[in-house]
Amino acid sequence: MADQLEVLLLDDEPIVGKRLKPALAKIGCNVEVFEEPAVALKRLDEKTFDVVVTDIRMDDIDGIQVLEHVREKSQRTKVIMITGYAMMALAREAMEKGAFDFIAKPFKPDDLRRVIAKAAKELGSSINFEVEMENEI
Amino acid sequence: MSIIIISSDSYPVGREIAMKTAKNLDYDFLGRESLAQIADNHTIEESKLIKAMDDGPSFLGMKKRVRNRCLAYIQEATLGALINANRVCQGLAAHLYVLGISHCLSVLVLADPEQILQQSASNKGISKKEAKKLIDRHNSFRRRWSMDAFDLDETDPSQYDLTISLSQIDADEAVKIISETITYRRFNPMTYSVKCLHDLELAARVRSALLESFPNVIVRANSGTLVVETAALKREKRKRAEAIKAVAGKIPGVEYVEVHVLNDIFRQAAESFR
Repeated sequence: MADQLEVLLLDDEPIVGKRLKPALAKIGCNVEVFEEPAVALKRLDEKTFDVVVTDIRMDDIDGIQVLEHVREKSQRTKVIMITGYAMMALAREAMEKGAFDFIAKPFKPDDLRRVIAKAAKELGSSINFEVEMENEI
Repeated sequence: MSIIIISSDSYPVGREIAMKTAKNLDYDFLGRESLAQIADNHTIEESKLIKAMDDGPSFLGMKKRVRNRCLAYIQEATLGALINANRVCQGLAAHLYVLGISHCLSVLVLADPEQILQQSASNKGISKKEAKKLIDRHNSFRRRWSMDAFDLDETDPSQYDLTISLSQIDADEAVKIISETITYRRFNPMTYSVKCLHDLELAARVRSALLESFPNVIVRANSGTLVVETAALKREKRKRAEAIKAVAGKIPGVEYVEVHVLNDIFRQAAESFR
């Protein structure tokens, strides 16, 4: 496996991508940021990512549809759902459909980094996220 | 840290299923044995905690204020115990306060009515008709108790993820069903659900600390931020808020406390009639 983790980040709020891209790059992720779900889906057809981080509530195409699309394409890709409208039923639906984890907004970049570290471990990534995170504290 | 909470219309039946499930899954069992430790921690008699779980408040019996405090201690300890381990919990009313946690499977086990009827009649030496009346009275009491203590009807199957009736399924099959259901992905712990459980636990810990001095507090927690609601007379508002902040602010995990003091209209009305 490559040293860098390929991450697709989809959120229709530009500030999310703006804040998270550098935070994830610090721990060795190569992040592609999208604000429009249709464009992100097109990119997912072209490339298999290690990790997909997607907002749930978006216009036209929601995060659950993105999750289903990823599952059809790749069983290996870890999908992390982020939402400002977290509820038990939605969380359970996402997990049942194959999400790797589910995070409620607002969250700290470290919360997402921790989950990505867990995903990387399951993917057999050689990048040591734990050490990187400890150094930052 | 998966959680299974088992409730039943018959305490011994619920306990049997819960213990067997814990053994089958190699989870820890959390039951009424924990009450002794809770009683020790709060220097209260264990019998009072049991009474709070089994009896309703009454004029001659346990006062509502004492009962609420006992239940708050149980709630605090149970939530604390559910945070870090795979557990099957029974007999601590957890199905009424571990709410909104997606990795918690709540199960209602309905005992075989015929078996319960026979047992009750032979244990008490009464007719089946009299035993039926007793059982109906008990079920109606449980409904009132849960509504009064937690504003939820514990006899309502729609409150649970899974309801199993033992009139057609035997205990071992029930254990198998529960053990299989907890493996569904939807019951996997996730960052969100673990955070929700931590928030509930922190709120319960703070409420438990506040209840002695402020019996009517409602506490909500969100990542270390607390919102405490209480009622007081207008002139006491500031003092009350400061006192609550002083107690809550010392509790580990609390970063910020916001106190909402509503007008205590009952005391206000009482004072205006003096």
